[in-house]
Amino acid sequence: MVQDSTRLNGLRAKHGRPPAGPHEPQAAPSTLRQGQPRFRGLEAGHRACQGCGEALAARIVMENAGPDVMVANATGCLEVFTTPWPQSAWRVPWMHSLFENAAAIASGMEAALKARGRNTKVLAFGGDGGTYDIGFQALSGMLERHHDVLYVCYDNEAYMNTGIQRSSSTPHAASTTTSPAGKERMGKRHLKKDLLSIIAAHHIPYAASASVAYPADLARKVRYAMGIEGPTFLVVHSPCPLGWRHASALTVEVARRAVECGLFPLVELERGALTNIMPIRTPRPVVDYLELQGRFAHLFDETDTRAIEERDHLQALADHNILTYGLAGTGDDPVDTTGIAHVRRGGPLAERT
Amino acid sequence: MTMTRLTRGAWAAPGTSLEFKTGNWRSTERPVHAHAKAPCHAACPAGEDQQAWFAKLQEGQPQQAWRALVHANPLPAITGRVCPHPCETACNRAALDGALAIHNVERWLGDEAVARGWAYPVDTPAPDAPRVAIVGAGPGGLSAAYHCVRLGLNAALFEAAPEAGGLLRSAIPPTRLPRDTLDAELGRLLALPGITLNLRARLGRDVTLDGLRDAFGAVILSPGCELPKPWSVRGAVPADLHDGLHLLRDFMDHGALPDAARGDVIVHGGGNTAMDICRIMKRAGANRVTLITASALPGPNTARDDLINVVPRELEEALEEGIEVIEHATVSRLIMKGSRVTGVEIVSLRKEPGPDGRKRRVEFEGTERVLPVDMVVPCVGEQVSPDGFEGVLDGAYFWPDDAWGRLREDGVFAIGDARGNRGTVAAAIGDGRLAAQAVAARLLGGDAPVADLRPERGVAGLNTAYYPAMRRTAVAKLPVAKRGFETEIEGGLSRAEAMAEAERCLSCGNCLACDNCWTMCPDSAVIKTVEAATDGSHYVFDLDYCKGCGLCAQECPTGYIQMVAETG
Repeated sequence: MVQDSTRLNGLRAKHGRPPAGPHEPQAAPSTLRQGQPRFRGLEAGHRACQGCGEALAARIVMENAGPDVMVANATGCLEVFTTPWPQSAWRVPWMHSLFENAAAIASGMEAALKARGRNTKVLAFGGDGGTYDIGFQALSGMLERHHDVLYVCYDNEAYMNTGIQRSSSTPHAASTTTSPAGKERMGKRHLKKDLLSIIAAHHIPYAASASVAYPADLARKVRYAMGIEGPTFLVVHSPCPLGWRHASALTVEVARRAVECGLFPLVELERGALTNIMPIRTPRPVVDYLELQGRFAHLFDETDTRAIEERDHLQALADHNILTYGLAGTGDDPVDTTGIAHVRRGGPLAERT
Repeated sequence: MTMTRLTRGAWAAPGTSLEFKTGNWRSTERPVHAHAKAPCHAACPAGEDQQAWFAKLQEGQPQQAWRALVHANPLPAITGRVCPHPCETACNRAALDGALAIHNVERWLGDEAVARGWAYPVDTPAPDAPRVAIVGAGPGGLSAAYHCVRLGLNAALFEAAPEAGGLLRSAIPPTRLPRDTLDAELGRLLALPGITLNLRARLGRDVTLDGLRDAFGAVILSPGCELPKPWSVRGAVPADLHDGLHLLRDFMDHGALPDAARGDVIVHGGGNTAMDICRIMKRAGANRVTLITASALPGPNTARDDLINVVPRELEEALEEGIEVIEHATVSRLIMKGSRVTGVEIVSLRKEPGPDGRKRRVEFEGTERVLPVDMVVPCVGEQVSPDGFEGVLDGAYFWPDDAWGRLREDGVFAIGDARGNRGTVAAAIGDGRLAAQAVAARLLGGDAPVADLRPERGVAGLNTAYYPAMRRTAVAKLPVAKRGFETEIEGGLSRAEAMAEAERCLSCGNCLACDNCWTMCPDSAVIKTVEAATDGSHYVFDLDYCKGCGLCAQECPTGYIQMVAETG
């Protein structure tokens, strides 16, 4: 539509995007930051903790979704650290909702834009608390009504913003303030909710899991979802150094090990059917993942037989994922858990081949 | 600061969080770009920066790679063939899937430069530029001459032999270094304007050190080691003793060995000359060749300083060809019939630290055994021929005060094998470069050269998750049955193979421009630049927003990003 391309060009001019072609004049950026060859939808200056996995994931999602997007953001860390009024780290229209209704707000935004004949894509962001638990009903409704919205859940596996309380996404045996490890229990008693299967049961066009450890894979999934008209869903594994109690530098390493051990499978489901997985080239033992995090420290008390039992339990859960989704790789694959990370001089290897 | 007037219903303008500088959250550490030495570079006696020229190859620019290479070493076609490549031993990739085939690629670049006639990146020195005398046109002297010219000086070489090349010509068999390769690369170097070569000019006979000191701005001594070290076993010396270096020279000049070399031969020593003479005698028809060495063969538990000091692939080839090696042993007695040797008694040795900290060799009593032999060839090293160097030599060698080869005599420098503790072509080439730098600083003014004190980036400093597995390129070798005295044994790489091998370089300690830091910063505090930043990378840290989490340093494949203590 002519109207849309005018709007797109306006947005490009506003956000300092590179010109679409050599014929299109472009003002020279006045600062290095303005000249970045990517869309800066989520800017610096936000108040996320050091090494925040969620901030990283949201930045990558915005880069690949923007600039013609609007965001509905549930209450949670992401909302709090990006918008300490009167400042905002967002450079797109952005609306804060309650914990429970980000999907409902996004549905309304999408309907309103549709009514005005606009093609702007609506994104809905929420944490695992706002998605797995509190906002789940609104999300289910949005999917069922088939709104053209990409819902992204930044999964850091507990209510980090309010002080590390367990959510239904918290993995089994993780210690949180409301599931503390101690005499009675070895951390959380219950299992992590298999949200993706529930989402997929809505038979929506596309639902996938991704991880901050694999930005190239996350970018591809965002772009693929952006190209679909209809409800799409992404859950992004986003380590939280504060809540998981690991060094801030290890965010990506922790996320990588979660995928490589099988505890967080990277899968894609279309219309409810499994259509793609990221194969694990060399599965790692679950303890490699657990040992980096303080929330699992109680599992390494060798005098406690329960610790050994729970480690075995988590290993069995990871093995179950590998078996259920068929994650075991067969030979080297350029987009398996090992291959997709590879770089060469000048950038990621995968972009060249 | 202007006051922001806030009203009910006001909204935050896009991107205004930039007003809030999260950089002041950093409490302990901040990231910096830290160029470190790749282990290959740190290990190279010639001072080559292999990582730098592999980077040029990765960019698809072989000629630029060669230019970066000859910035340190003007003879890559030669060193690519004869060097024991400590760079490959040090290569971080050895811990992953095998060290890079650095010497093969170096050789390919050298051959490519000769074949395509790439010009050395040097300017003609001014005719009135200071002149430097260089004694000896072996690898050290040639390197010194090249670097003198590169730095704007004229160089005059004085060589006793009728041809330039030194031990490259006299002690390295054509199976390792074909003569046309040697002639081609030396010819290109010697044709550089600013270098004059005086052949058949022996110090002490045709020229004198004092004469050179009077006529030239500086003198670089690179005479090499011509004399075999004296060898005897508890005072006994066979009447028909031939030392290894002379046997090798005679064989390369006349193609003949003494008759006794057809029987059982023992070679006593542990260097490349010993290895070469073993192999030549075996191929020339010796019944059995045994090398007796005090050092050890490479094994999983061999200490670095105990390892036999030969080119590793030469040792492999020698074992393929049926050379027997008795490690950790020495000759303890000669069994004579009249003045001829009929057998040797050997005894096992162990190296153990002595009271002064240096390793000393201890004989094990009761391990003596006797081998019947027809010939014993000592190859225990060489020393400087003292003619013309009276008063300058300290014992058998020169012992300069520093890495640049400065001797006590003002304006006189000593380099190469004559420095007693050198012993490789690459070391001589490196010495030549350093001495030329010191000479240039002396004659042209400017700061004296300083040592490169950058740290070395070992494999523990890399994040190897980001490197694809790639097997080392194997090169063809002449089968044992076809090995003679002329045809080169090790084959070369094709262009495609060399470029593929270059892709394996990990770029240790230097930016790979992989975008990891830019992609993985949660705070958008890494800024990418189109032009190279001042430190040579394509990224700058925006410390206004960097919170110091250390993620970029952790995920940097090459260890180029380091966290350092916050100051102030």
